[in-house]
Amino acid sequence: MPLNIREALRYLGVTGEPDDALLQQAQQLSAELTSRIIPHYSWRMLPLEHSGGQLTLAGRPLPGHSAARMLDDCHQCALLICTLGAAFDLWLRQMQARDMVRAALLDALGSAYVEAACDSATEEIAARFPDMYLTDRFSPGYGDLPLTLQPALLELAGARRIGLTCTPSLLLAPQKSVTALIGLAEQPQMARIRGCQHCRMNNTCTFRKAGTTCAI
Amino acid sequence: MRFDSSAMIILDGAMGTMLQSAGLKPGELPELLALTNPKLLTSIHQRYAQRGADVIYANTFGANRRKLAPTGHTVEEVVTAAIRAAKAGCSWTKAKVAVDIGPLGELLAPLGTLPFEKAVSQFAEIAAAGERAGADLAVIETMTDLYEAKAALLAVKEATNLPVMVTMSFDESGRTFTGCTVASMAATLEGLGADAIGINCSLGPQQLLPLLRELCAATHLPVIAKPNAGLPDPVTGRYSLTPAAFAAAMVDIVRAGVSIVGGCCGTTPEHILALRSAVISTTPGRREIRQRSIVCTPTTPVVLDGVRVIGERINPTGKKRFQQALLENDLDYIADVAIAQEDAGAAILDVNVGYPGVDEVMMLPRVVQKLQEVTTLPLQLDSTNPEALAAALRVVNGKAAVNSVNGDPKVLAAILPVVKKYGAAVVGLTLDESGLPKTAEQRVAIARRILDAALAHGIPREDVWIDCLTLTVSAQQEQAEATLEAVRRVRQELGLQTVLGVSNISFGLPNRLLVAQTFLIRALHAGLTLPIINPNQKEMMDAVAAFRVLSGEDENCGAYVERFANAASPAPQIPNSGSRIPNLQDAIIRGLKADASRIARAALETGPALSIVENHLIPALDRVGADYEAGRAFLPQLLSAAQAAQAVFAVIQERIAASGGQSVRKGKVIIATVKGDIHDIGKNIVKTVMANYGYELLDLGRDVPPETIVEVTIRANVRLVGLSALMTTTLPAMEETVRQLQQLDNPPAIMLGGAVVTEDYAANLGCHYAKDAKAAVEIARSVLG
Repeated sequence: MPLNIREALRYLGVTGEPDDALLQQAQQLSAELTSRIIPHYSWRMLPLEHSGGQLTLAGRPLPGHSAARMLDDCHQCALLICTLGAAFDLWLRQMQARDMVRAALLDALGSAYVEAACDSATEEIAARFPDMYLTDRFSPGYGDLPLTLQPALLELAGARRIGLTCTPSLLLAPQKSVTALIGLAEQPQMARIRGCQHCRMNNTCTFRKAGTTCAI
Repeated sequence: MRFDSSAMIILDGAMGTMLQSAGLKPGELPELLALTNPKLLTSIHQRYAQRGADVIYANTFGANRRKLAPTGHTVEEVVTAAIRAAKAGCSWTKAKVAVDIGPLGELLAPLGTLPFEKAVSQFAEIAAAGERAGADLAVIETMTDLYEAKAALLAVKEATNLPVMVTMSFDESGRTFTGCTVASMAATLEGLGADAIGINCSLGPQQLLPLLRELCAATHLPVIAKPNAGLPDPVTGRYSLTPAAFAAAMVDIVRAGVSIVGGCCGTTPEHILALRSAVISTTPGRREIRQRSIVCTPTTPVVLDGVRVIGERINPTGKKRFQQALLENDLDYIADVAIAQEDAGAAILDVNVGYPGVDEVMMLPRVVQKLQEVTTLPLQLDSTNPEALAAALRVVNGKAAVNSVNGDPKVLAAILPVVKKYGAAVVGLTLDESGLPKTAEQRVAIARRILDAALAHGIPREDVWIDCLTLTVSAQQEQAEATLEAVRRVRQELGLQTVLGVSNISFGLPNRLLVAQTFLIRALHAGLTLPIINPNQKEMMDAVAAFRVLSGEDENCGAYVERFANAASPAPQIPNSGSRIPNLQDAIIRGLKADASRIARAALETGPALSIVENHLIPALDRVGADYEAGRAFLPQLLSAAQAAQAVFAVIQERIAASGGQSVRKGKVIIATVKGDIHDIGKNIVKTVMANYGYELLDLGRDVPPETIVEVTIRANVRLVGLSALMTTTLPAMEETVRQLQQLDNPPAIMLGGAVVTEDYAANLGCHYAKDAKAAVEIARSVLG
């Protein structure tokens, strides 16, 4: 599964054309990462209900405007979970003790890798429903969809089957993990997640703090 | 209930699958059914018992304190009701009821935040409730983290008298999600006293077969298989294997030697009926169990079937810098010593933290936990203190060795029970209460006594390693031959692993390395399997590599050729240029670690350490820092320069420690990731950069409670505290830490950083805002100078 190395470098704040040495180091490490770690993902279809202004997923409320807007046209939704697994965390920890440059790179590459795995799972879902249209993929923390949903989503998704858990402070563990919702609709869906106002990093991104954007 | 590899035992099938088809909604807590609808549970158990299950798993898989907390019900209540429902379902048969223990749903530290002992106590609560309610055995299942499996197994053994089966889940790569191998699982769980071990869930029987074959060869215990009915369809949730197909695949598993079989997700009473009919008249296949010595971490089993080097460097004896690290709790330094040995080819690391002023009972487990985070090598715990050994063996993830006991019955009686309880290997020194033996004969006799004592404690002979004692040849010349002869006989007559601390031999002689190397080669020839040496000494490792070629262990000389084909060309000599320091700044800016430390070493011959720091190191870092701020350099370059500077610092500190001089440190800074947060790479980046400006960084790690930060602030009189948080959910912990620090009589300056922290947020709390590592350095300069 290829991952986007430029995207990983952007996570590190590298703008413009990276120098050859850095790019080469990133490419080598990326090759090592993809051969050493297999991302695990799993998804399942769950029913959505819109009644009385309340949106529920398999009987559980999905609070907030963001989910309601995103899933407005949908009666079912794929719940996707994905993780690089604890082996990645251990490797990253060992690398931090050896070489912080490589560790920072690996950390960024890991983020890009888990995104790539989610993309691949999303394609799989799209292929299973060739007549349906998929919404953008979004996660707790997006807009006003609360992080407090995390434990319920993990339970619904059977997350233990891929070794994914969350801490009492609602952090996913292992670190490079995603829980996401993708709605299925019968009509084309507009791409809503684009630009800074929809980004999870909206208030915290180093580009915005510096007055620029990452230009995605 | 007794286990025996020749008798078939049939386990039940899935509970969750049955509950879902009975209408359980996804996400509902199935354990509560024991209270709300026990009849449903009883009817499912009954169907499994009717179809021939010998063991019924009660519906207690997730009945732990954490999951039940929001429901208001206690573990005792739920477990008691679940066992009662299971017993009601099979009371008319001979079937046994198991209290079923699944993962807690939270990762143990260091992967997550759950402390090991908290996990043990949660598991103990379930197991004890199960035993009180009348369970016949305990089952620990679906574990993917060997550390969590160990916590659960220890809990069952300590809290109950129940027999216990343990199964873990593996994926198609042949490892669990945390990277645990089949060999490591077998060595660890068998050592800890499981009654049967095996594999359940995640895959179907065909995919599990190769792993089960491996397990059957790796353990003496009866082996369990409880696979899924194939794989589920994500849309329908249905599993792929029919009862007949499942049963047919299970026959192959039984032929491979597995004697305890059942079904996991997707299996039904019909699967169990088909399974029973297919295998009940089959005798489990004969198992070829490999008798072998092994130590391991979850990811790295080290089989002792050749020469394995034990690294000796984690030891304060005669090492000033190491002693200083121990006294200052500088675990990072100890980690670096471990990493260097791993990279140099050690297979096992000896760990000795005994030094005046160091509390071993506290320190040994802390060092073990630190080492487990940074290396994958198994450890050999080097202490004579049974309490320290017990504390450390408890937190070992995998199977360790203990160094050492000797032939003194009092020592054996104190330490062997600890070794047995935690399933470790043990090194026996061939001396006893009457002192050092003079002859090989006496050494072998003591070795026999140690072996007998170990066997009597239930420690298998593969786990007894004998150290025939290296004495200094310049003082007792005839003893070298006696040692070698004893090694030969222990290996030949007793067939045990042999250990020797090699370097002692040459003490007091010129060209020590030559004598040590020659002795090593002779000892290997005599049958030494586990030399304890300094793996950073290339000549010693070269000798081991050559010996492996001659003994045939290094097949086709592959490792030997690789070692010397890749050997780096000798480092170029830097000409001595008097008091000038050529290019130190350049070397740092370009991130050339080796060059930078070499130039610094040369410069220290002629100039004071402080001038290197002030005139070269800090200006170089400032230049990279300025480029970084201006967007001309990026984080990787900043970190490269910082690491090169760190290498220079290491050289300086070594020199200062050796001369007993004052360090060049400026002021203390605490740095920590707040309670509940385990993402610490940002904090570590700041630490890497700041350390080079001469500040003494007290890195308290991740998930650090406010109280700990306050306590260290007071104790070490710290004037600047750096806190990091990644998630909005951990900001409250950051605020609480700030609040407690600001209530101190003489509150320290505080800087905040991390993805979710903004300038306004920090300002509102009355703190500095460190937007990145460079900014943190500027704050430190303004606060501490």
